[in-house]
Amino acid sequence: MPTVTIDNQEFEFEGNPILLQFCLDHDIELPHFCYHPAMSAPANCRQCLVEIGTPEIDRGTGEPRLDEDGNPVIRFFPKMMTGCSEDISDGMVVKTHRSSELVREAQKDNLEFLLINHPLDCPICDQAGNCPLQIQAYKYGPEGSRFEFRKVSKPKHIELGPRVVLDAERCINCTRCTRFTTEISESHQLTIIERSVWNYPMTPPGVDFDEPYSMNVIDICPVGALTSKDFRFKARVWEMSSTPSITIGNAKGSNCFYWVKDNLVQKVTPRTNMEVNEYWLPDEDRLDYDVFNENRPEGPTIAGQSASWDDAKTAAADLLKNVDANGIVFLGSAFACVEDNYLLGELASALGAAAPSYIQHIEPGAGDGWLITDDKTPNASGCERLGIRPLDATLLRSRIQGGDVKLLYVLQDDPVAAGICEAADLAGVSVILHHTNTTNETLVAANVALPAATVVETVGTFVNQDGHAQRVWPSKAIRGVNRTLSMEIGKSRADKHGTPFDRWFDEDHLVDCQPGWVVIPEIADLLDIELRFKGPRDIMLKVSSENEAFGGATYDAMAEPGVRLVDVGAEV
Amino acid sequence: MTDFIKDPVILMPERHPEPVFSTEELVFTAEETRQIATWVSQYPTADGAIMKVLWMAQEKFGFLPPEVIRLSAGALGMPYARAFGVATFYTQYFKSKKGRYVLDVCTCFSCQICGGYDMLHYLEEKLGAHAGETTDDGLFTIQEVECLGACGSAPMLQITNGPYVMNLTEEKIDALIDALKRDQLPFFSSVTLPQDEDDLGGNRRTDVRDTLTYSAPPVAKTLG
Amino acid sequence: MEEKNGATSKAGDWRSYERVLLPPVRDLHRLEVYEQNGGYEALREVLTSDKWDPTSVTNEVRNSGLRGRGGAGFLTGLKWTFMPPVDPNIPRFLCGNGDESEPGTFKDRQLMEFNPHLIFEGMLIASYAMSITTSYLYVRGEFADWISLMEVELAKAYEKGYVGKNVLGTDFSTDLVIHKGAGAYICGEESSLMISLEGERPYPRAKPPFPAQRGLWNYPTTINNVETLACVPLIINRGGEWFADLGSHRHPGPVLYGISGHVNRPGVYEYPTGMLITDLIYDVAKGMRGSKKLKAVVPGGSSTPILRADQIDGVTMDAETLRDAGSMMGTAGMLIMDEDTDIVSWLRRVTRFYHHESCGQCTPCREGTGWIENIVTRIDEGAGNLRDLDLLIDLCFQMEGRTVCALADAAAWPVRFTIERFRDEFEARCRPSLVPSGGVLTPALGP
Repeated sequence: MPTVTIDNQEFEFEGNPILLQFCLDHDIELPHFCYHPAMSAPANCRQCLVEIGTPEIDRGTGEPRLDEDGNPVIRFFPKMMTGCSEDISDGMVVKTHRSSELVREAQKDNLEFLLINHPLDCPICDQAGNCPLQIQAYKYGPEGSRFEFRKVSKPKHIELGPRVVLDAERCINCTRCTRFTTEISESHQLTIIERSVWNYPMTPPGVDFDEPYSMNVIDICPVGALTSKDFRFKARVWEMSSTPSITIGNAKGSNCFYWVKDNLVQKVTPRTNMEVNEYWLPDEDRLDYDVFNENRPEGPTIAGQSASWDDAKTAAADLLKNVDANGIVFLGSAFACVEDNYLLGELASALGAAAPSYIQHIEPGAGDGWLITDDKTPNASGCERLGIRPLDATLLRSRIQGGDVKLLYVLQDDPVAAGICEAADLAGVSVILHHTNTTNETLVAANVALPAATVVETVGTFVNQDGHAQRVWPSKAIRGVNRTLSMEIGKSRADKHGTPFDRWFDEDHLVDCQPGWVVIPEIADLLDIELRFKGPRDIMLKVSSENEAFGGATYDAMAEPGVRLVDVGAEV
Repeated sequence: MTDFIKDPVILMPERHPEPVFSTEELVFTAEETRQIATWVSQYPTADGAIMKVLWMAQEKFGFLPPEVIRLSAGALGMPYARAFGVATFYTQYFKSKKGRYVLDVCTCFSCQICGGYDMLHYLEEKLGAHAGETTDDGLFTIQEVECLGACGSAPMLQITNGPYVMNLTEEKIDALIDALKRDQLPFFSSVTLPQDEDDLGGNRRTDVRDTLTYSAPPVAKTLG
Repeated sequence: MEEKNGATSKAGDWRSYERVLLPPVRDLHRLEVYEQNGGYEALREVLTSDKWDPTSVTNEVRNSGLRGRGGAGFLTGLKWTFMPPVDPNIPRFLCGNGDESEPGTFKDRQLMEFNPHLIFEGMLIASYAMSITTSYLYVRGEFADWISLMEVELAKAYEKGYVGKNVLGTDFSTDLVIHKGAGAYICGEESSLMISLEGERPYPRAKPPFPAQRGLWNYPTTINNVETLACVPLIINRGGEWFADLGSHRHPGPVLYGISGHVNRPGVYEYPTGMLITDLIYDVAKGMRGSKKLKAVVPGGSSTPILRADQIDGVTMDAETLRDAGSMMGTAGMLIMDEDTDIVSWLRRVTRFYHHESCGQCTPCREGTGWIENIVTRIDEGAGNLRDLDLLIDLCFQMEGRTVCALADAAAWPVRFTIERFRDEFEARCRPSLVPSGGVLTPALGP
């Protein structure tokens, strides 16, 4: 197998790897700004300069020339080369800053140049603390500056579009943003304008940067030049915890981080998963986090009156006890995780009721064939794989209106808002509702309302429309004690910055809600139905071993990248 | 450009400027469209023709406000943003309205040490406008430009991306301004090669009205 | 033969040299006249004679020792051999580089004015040698008048069948397109020129891959300066040997010297390579204006290192000698400066040029050119410190060889070498240093 020597260490490689990417893949930090694995490499930031040599080939024999000790003679390029624009070749010898004084000097010199016209406004910059320029200047940059002139002043706080704000002074012209709009999203809304030190990225006049993926440029911007209008000045990066999770506004299940401060989700950023969303996240997936922060229920209610969890569960069990199984309709939820839906199905079956169905939330034409889908739920495929079928809304409506339905058990959905029936239609129906928000229009008709934990508060599994099963971790705490959640939260929210500012044990903004996998077994218990699991991890162990549509989808196997499930025919 | 080093401020661009030209004006004629098609055929992709289309548009509209750049990009089916990036890169594309005559005075390198700045300053004083500005009557824009490739004929200037005026003197500038005020553009002038003077006894081109010779440049009074 | 005339001139008996790039023929720019004077004979011979095939043409150019006239001085024939083997499904391109924007250079314009068909013919022969079906002649936008003149002549050449489909009745077809630039020095850089042609912002592209592998629209491409291409028909007509014997044998051939600055008779002169700089100044250009003393010579455009008057004795205009003298041949656009020239002010204007013309892509060049202009301006205004000089040299080394294209090098050399060679004049302008170079300073506060 061909080999490359980097800082006196030999590596084997296959194919034609790019040197910079190869280093990053092997935990060799090589500072860089403009390179992005998904886009072309213009080699313009000049930060990843390294010394590169290749074996000298004897023209006569075509073989590498050897020195006295029998080692190949290495000829180094006269200039340093950028790692991002060089393919690795067999026998190549590379010296990075770890072994070359020349490279260290070059990195320092380049950072000095980058900083002369960069406003050192880190104290008010959103990027500070998570800024490649800041980090690399700290690690590889010069100690002081020799620049004694006025910095170039460029336009600031330009609203490029409805969601992205540009501070041109901070820009280092890496062109990641313009390459994103030309190569990835192909919206062609950005270009670099002017030239020399006058240049910066901009929309052409009369154009707003409003494409549905515009906020990705904020993530890939290696400085604070592009910031989120929504998030600007809301929180410092070290005040927040970030938790790997998925977004729930689309059936793509794009991987993300939820950033939390004071038990409120502050922003959503993409998490790389080459199987799902690669590096990207649509804007709509980033801006729908209000559902986690606002209009959250303040504990369970019975007939609209606050109640304790015990009372509410008892009330629910009582309702279920006193109704003939034929009169019970269970509605699963494409918003809820596989675990909750599974338990609901088990409960229905134990009661002898019909299997649950789920309400579809499909907006035909909304999808773009990429990360935005027609289906606006995260787990329709998970429901289908559990045997939970889409609801026949017309049939249910006529059954409700005909008085056939005595009890409606709704898991994390809103039949009234979905147009299945009017709230008034439910006057004669007992309604048990797991709701996430008080804006739920079915809530007024609920006999028992059980606040449900959202994706940022629970542990659970979601299956995207391509059959990719992914688990989530709790990004923020809920009111009350739950050992499973505490354990998972501890794992997921390990403070990345080593500072005590993370407030997730603070009592503010804690929502009094419970995951379905806590509430449903307890109700079952009251009905003398055996539905006990140690936690969601065990539920998935069971589901994945019993149901081949979930084969392999254990928590350990899913971890952060998720598991691609077997094809079960037509996905939703 | 001149005071950028002292006051390096890049101003906020107009994000949504009022269009200068109406939609009725913003069209290419059938003939222009045919011309564009010819240009497109000269390149493997239509984008290659953008510089030629921008040149034609500038000739037609006088300058390139955003809507004209958009029109040009549209004529080639290329993204407007890309065309805008191209147009702003080059100095000869006028992104704002200029005077009827743009006087590009070279002050670079050879011209600098052969009196380019003397000529620029003379012109600025004569017209009452600084480099980068347009005279109040809208007739002249003065620009200080980089090397125009006529170093042996320094000092020199170019009129609106067109004719070169070589071997400038104050008298020559006076005459030029008078002529331009009467809308008389100078003819193309050929500079006789010194060796042609010796071998051919004059300029080799018989088809040009004005010929000049290479001669010792004036002594520069100022270099900046 | 190099020693024939004068102690060290390599240009032979240059006083009786007969011009070949710009022969003394009236109205040679017109196709009819060009044809009467043997024009397009080289093309005809190459296309119709059994003696020639693409390989033999390339070999002839290679054997002539022709080096690029655009600045870098690379061997033209060798460059042509970099083109990959012909694949009929893959287009190949040639670019004639007539962007001529290097300050101090004005010879290509005169060649285009007086002998455009020689350029066309050179491009056509080169196209044949490399099996190219489309070639572009990239001319800077400022040369609008010359472009118009060439368009007229090119149309005539098309009409006469020298260009286009089935050139001269053979099965070789090739097109020639004139592309007008729009004011950007960087477009003279070969990769920038290609990207300008492609209709994008002309940011130079990292090499490798070289244009021969991935050029215009990612297809194999060769870029040659127009004067270089104009030499090709001469080589075919008179033989590579004749060319190789002309002037300096390691950098042979005729060359257009553009002499500007403080001389009595500036202008474009055609002589063989290897002319003594002193001959060019005192004999060809008729000496210094006002009989002033020579102060400095920039031998080949603004980016070539400046030579002090005491550095030019015996120095000839060819790559090797100039390199040994501490400079470069560049474009042979020579700037001559007399004793009264303020070298600090002059350098200030040079740094401004590079600041303005940097494309802004690479960090060291975008930031460094402006910083350098700032410092040189400060020195010129008498507000510089002695340590600024060391800082400038430092910055030059921080830029050189660290960018995608050579503009950073071109911007750094004049600064580094001018300070090196005229340090006393810079020091005389500076205030003594209060803080040693490299010390941490309080940055000057903006208004």
